[in-house]
Amino acid sequence: MNNHAHLAVTDLLIGYQSPLHEPFTFTVEPGAVLAVLGPSGCGKSTLLATIAGITPALAGTIDIAGRDVTSVPINERRVGMVFQEALLFPHLSVRDNVAYGPRRAGATREAARGEADRLLSWVDLAELADRSIDQLSGGQAQRVSLARALAAKPAVLCLDEPFSALDAPLRARLAEDVLAVIDRTRIPAIHVTHDPLEAQTMTRGAGGGSILSM
Amino acid sequence: MNVRTGSTTSVDPPGWLRWTWLVPAFFLLAFMAVPLTSLAAQVVRPGTAAYLADPLPWTVAAFATVQALVSTALAVGIGLPMANVLTRYRFPGRRWALALATVPFVLPTVVVALAFRALLGGSLGSGFIIVVLAHAYLNLAVVVRIVGARWVTIDTRMEVAARTLGASAWTAFRTVTWPILRPAIASAAAIVFVFSFTSLGVVLLIGDSTTRTLESLVLRQTSILLDFQAAAVSAAIQVVVVGTVLLWAARQRAHNRGTAVRPMRPMVPQGSARWAVAAVATLAAIIVLAPVAALLWASLRSGSGSSSGWTLAWWSALFGADTIDAGSTRIGSPAAAIGRSLVFAVATGLVAAIVGGLSAISVLTGRIGRAFAIATAIPLGISAATLGLGTLLAYGRGPVDLRASGLLVPIAHALIAVPLVVAVATPTLRAIDPRLVTAALSLGASRSRAWWSGYGPALRTVMVAAGGLACAVSLGEFGAASFLARADGPTVPLVIARLLGRPGEASFGVAATLAVVLVILTTTLVAAVDRGGRRR
Repeated sequence: MNNHAHLAVTDLLIGYQSPLHEPFTFTVEPGAVLAVLGPSGCGKSTLLATIAGITPALAGTIDIAGRDVTSVPINERRVGMVFQEALLFPHLSVRDNVAYGPRRAGATREAARGEADRLLSWVDLAELADRSIDQLSGGQAQRVSLARALAAKPAVLCLDEPFSALDAPLRARLAEDVLAVIDRTRIPAIHVTHDPLEAQTMTRGAGGGSILSM
Repeated sequence: MNVRTGSTTSVDPPGWLRWTWLVPAFFLLAFMAVPLTSLAAQVVRPGTAAYLADPLPWTVAAFATVQALVSTALAVGIGLPMANVLTRYRFPGRRWALALATVPFVLPTVVVALAFRALLGGSLGSGFIIVVLAHAYLNLAVVVRIVGARWVTIDTRMEVAARTLGASAWTAFRTVTWPILRPAIASAAAIVFVFSFTSLGVVLLIGDSTTRTLESLVLRQTSILLDFQAAAVSAAIQVVVVGTVLLWAARQRAHNRGTAVRPMRPMVPQGSARWAVAAVATLAAIIVLAPVAALLWASLRSGSGSSSGWTLAWWSALFGADTIDAGSTRIGSPAAAIGRSLVFAVATGLVAAIVGGLSAISVLTGRIGRAFAIATAIPLGISAATLGLGTLLAYGRGPVDLRASGLLVPIAHALIAVPLVVAVATPTLRAIDPRLVTAALSLGASRSRAWWSGYGPALRTVMVAAGGLACAVSLGEFGAASFLARADGPTVPLVIARLLGRPGEASFGVAATLAVVLVILTTTLVAAVDRGGRRR
């Protein structure tokens, strides 16, 4: 997973029919975190959705690991997303949720499950691999969601207020987990939040980072 | 003051209410258990082995299985895109479109059969294709409602999450949405299969030898061959098939897992989805309305080819005092049949509202009550012919002959309608905060008075609404009535079937006119109940 890719966004205009914000230009180095800080409705999530390919860009370019992906479909962009809610697939076990990405990439069921077990151990959930997802707490579900996003070997990690549904102690624990995997994988990450403290925490990892206020 | 406190604050009901289960218990015993026992007695008689060795019921069951499978595949194939568009997307007229999609389900089966004959009879004639199309049409709402209710709870971002993990749009649907929907689809498919497998009105009116069902065989064995034991054996085979399918569906439902519990807000379609939504919604409206329009057309047209034209002859024949001559048999006055059907419907509404309402109250009062309320759902899984034949065996001949009293039809209809009443009334009563009763008690009301203050207003509304639904069921019911109505006292669906059984333009015109009357009556009743429910 140590692909040491970087994310470069140039003059990116986001929005649906009309622009939501001035054009964005920034770079996120491998292992660094860009914390995007702003109030609700300012377009933070739209920025992530545009980088991930869920929403088309109005103008500008998105470059991941030296490749222009502005017009590349979502499933070929290699952008891992962790949403506000875990959005785990209810018909799959914890392990099969995490194995979903490797399976789509062509791994055999056994290989995908092996990879899932490895990533679940990163987030300290190896013992829950066989559980159904409705047996997880909110914090556990969000950690599974993180493991699932990482298992697909993303080149960029987008975190859309992933801690907002959790209480304070869980937030701190999950922030540590996220920073640890970012440091370990050297994936550039964008972390969206409306909490200035959280933004500061997320930019103090080993890979450093910066805050973009909207 | 007999008030329990805790997380579920509840008040013991007044003593007399604890006996409400006796009414549904008596009703079920007398009109379900006794008839089914009479039917079973025919099956366990000597000679049953010979009947079971007869290939006829098995051949009919095999043909009916194929027919029901094709009907189910069609209903699911057409219903799924409708469910997707009508429940998940926001567009002008969406509420109307959803209401429209329910129309086929509330239409009586003979009306749908006649409508399909009017629409496609000229090109398709009678037989397999037109029967499966009519079955798919009748059951579209089952698929749209059951699958739609599940689909609307699936977070659309779930597919987006799958796509960010490398899945194409189709793979995301196949591996995420489809498995989540599958239990609901299986459940809807099982219901459509059972309805099509036990179909009677449609197969009698527009079917041929390839579309016979065990239901039609039971009717033939009872009313033409007078071989009750053979009929009971056919009915028993049908009960086993239906029971197996319903058990399978229940097992599928047990796999129903989900985290999204609240319905998602409908999406505004974007880009090419806009065209797809518009196309599916328009097609759905055409599919639903075309047969009804064909019926209305048939009730106002006479002649064929160049000599065809508009006429009100069939409508005036409806209210003429004369009976319709059918050669050797006289069919009876259509107006008298309408009057009779209305009386049966009102009687059914009253009986079903009282029995169903008391069953719903029983649910609140204790374990025995809950058990009997659950038992009232059993008739849903028993076909009309099975119930009709059982009732006929128990009360239609020999020492207890209630057939002449005219009571058997509304009783059988009430038995069919009670599960609907319980299904409508129970959740409403359960949703009432028991603290209302506590509040009334604290203000000095007696236990009965306090209970009535809490539950009375809702109970009254829900029983009127449920009674209205029961009326609609009775107006269109064909299967049980074909066993239980007296030859000289047919209901409207029976008159329609008799009219279609003889040639001639007048028969078809009057039948179409009667069908339009049934459409107006049933849809008005259901719409009134729906409006009342929404206002509540």
